Amino acid sequence: MGIQEQYRSEAASLLSSGEVKLVIGFGPGTTADRRRALFARTAEEAEKLVLDPACIANLTTYLVAGGLLSDGKKVAIFLKPDAIRSLNILISESQVKPEQVVIFGYTIENNEIKELPGHSIGDFANLGEKLRTATAPPSVQQEAEKLEAMSPAERFEYWKEQFAKCIKCYACRQACPMCYCRRCIVDVNQPQWVSTSSHTLGNFEWNLVRAFHLAGRCAACGACDRACPVNIPLRLINYRMGKEVKEAFDYYAGESSDQNPVLASFSQDDPETFIL
Amino acid sequence: MTRILLKNKLDDCIAAWQKAGYSVLAPVQRHDMSSFDEVQKGSDMALDLILTERTIKDQFFPQTEPLIKYNISKKEIASETMTPPDKKRVFFGVRPCDASGLAIDDPLFGWDYKDDYWFKRRENSVIISIACTEADDFCMCTSVKLSPDSTKGADVMLRPLANGNGWQVDAVSDRGTALLESVSSLLEESSDEAAPVPQVAEKFDVEKVMEWLGDKENFESQFWKDISMRCIGCGSCTFLCPTCHCFDIQDEGDTYQGIRRKNWDSCSFALFTMHTSGHNPRNAQSTRWRQRIMHKFNYYRGKFGVNSCSGCGRCTRQCPVDMGITETLQAITNLPR
Ligand code: SF4
Ligand code: SF4
Ligand code: SF4
Ligand code: SF4
Repeated sequence: MGIQEQYRSEAASLLSSGEVKLVIGFGPGTTADRRRALFARTAEEAEKLVLDPACIANLTTYLVAGGLLSDGKKVAIFLKPDAIRSLNILISESQVKPEQVVIFGYTIENNEIKELPGHSIGDFANLGEKLRTATAPPSVQQEAEKLEAMSPAERFEYWKEQFAKCIKCYACRQACPMCYCRRCIVDVNQPQWVSTSSHTLGNFEWNLVRAFHLAGRCAACGACDRACPVNIPLRLINYRMGKEVKEAFDYYAGESSDQNPVLASFSQDDPETFIL
Repeated sequence: MTRILLKNKLDDCIAAWQKAGYSVLAPVQRHDMSSFDEVQKGSDMALDLILTERTIKDQFFPQTEPLIKYNISKKEIASETMTPPDKKRVFFGVRPCDASGLAIDDPLFGWDYKDDYWFKRRENSVIISIACTEADDFCMCTSVKLSPDSTKGADVMLRPLANGNGWQVDAVSDRGTALLESVSSLLEESSDEAAPVPQVAEKFDVEKVMEWLGDKENFESQFWKDISMRCIGCGSCTFLCPTCHCFDIQDEGDTYQGIRRKNWDSCSFALFTMHTSGHNPRNAQSTRWRQRIMHKFNYYRGKFGVNSCSGCGRCTRQCPVDMGITETLQAITNLPR
């Protein structure tokens, strides 16, 4: 039995026994190469679940949407390692109770699906070490290095051109599991903190606010980057912020679920490079 | 005999229009994104794209538009209207669905109040459409009763020649006729055949959809909750749509001086209908998605006699979670009744 079939039948039995109220997985999409989120509430619906190398989306964003978990009931969800990493962050930030989530873990290696055994977040604790040493794809590193080599003025030009494309659709925010604020700063309009206009200032304000809010919290799943309809390389911003946090605090977001959030904790060993 | 524009005459055409005071805009690919932007020569154009990622709408209804400047002092209150530019523009290589989008929005911007910002640009622009020779899985112009060679919203219609050397040229409005006059010496007579338009299968039955939406019984249907569960409420489907036209007025500055701007807004956002009391009549994504469909295929038709969708398919093509209007309308078409 392939993993898809195995997970389908496990999902079906979780649903028919009433153990979980919902299974969040993947189903076929509009075109042959697309997969889309599938929400199964019955054993029959679980039969439609698909698991193959095209299942790259990070579904944890649905866990924190619309008060899904507020009734205390359990939900099962399909997660690959970067998504497990974001679940760790959500748990450490007290947004998700670990006992409410049943995990169907998988990895995509050489275009093949492999099972990640275990069902609760604790079963994936050994993933932390692996995640920590995982490097960004060479393409991202290369681009990041190119940016680092630029002068500040050149870098500013680069981002100015990229951000000029931003249409403030907030797809990057909506696709991101870490953007769970019930009221985002850009939606606060009394007073209007961040201008809604898409001029240079407005676009910089938005993209920089988001970058800062994700420092030490990004799981590098690439959801924002894939969601951006105008192809702004948002991965480069998050990569850089992750690197800063790692260098300054030796902190790697999401390596475990009992980590203290880096910007909400204090240690006497923290470097104080910015205090004169 | 029809008139044709040979590809090797395109640069001369552009030069002639520029000389006559026009800027020429066309599909371009810049900074990893395709949109309509100013070009100087044919080779700047990305005419092989099925559709640009961003629509031509942006050029008539910009994402952010300064309306007035205000200055309030003890002695006087001064305001200055920031008039839209008078620039004459030629849009070359517009897809029929994008040109139709402009025509669909005209009644909206000219209904109870004539929006100068839209109409000044409309009146100063000539739209040269090119019939499609290729479509992708997302194209759905035929489902909304348009077609890959629809002339709706166009001033000039070009049909690519089967031999790939150029385009058949037809004026479809007085403005188009006048523009072609200025380059008549560059056009040739020929009997070269036009390439066929692609087969774009009808994906839903728009009549059935409109009927179901018009039935008030269905407003509270569970259907809306089920179909929209996946929607993450980003506004990209609305911002990339050639017909979506909602905007918000914002004052930038303070009580005493600043600029009033007209900015895009989206029914997909929770803030769109948030009351100052804190109550939100569209408090769930399902109600926002319902609004988007209802607006396009029920309310807009009721008011202006046309659906607010030109079938470009961008809402599905670029939706980060693979939703989009097509799937919803297909599902409505197939509902048991
Ligand atoms: S997804 Fe892209 S275009 Fe949309 S708000 Fe984010 S950066 Fe801007
Ligand atoms: S929807 Fe129709 S008109 Fe638009 S690009 Fe596709 S085929 Fe052409
Ligand atoms: S349908 Fe897609 S593009 Fe539109 S708001 Fe929902 S998630 Fe965003
Ligand atoms: S609703 Fe979708 S298909 Fe229709 S015009 Fe808008 S983006 Fe295109």
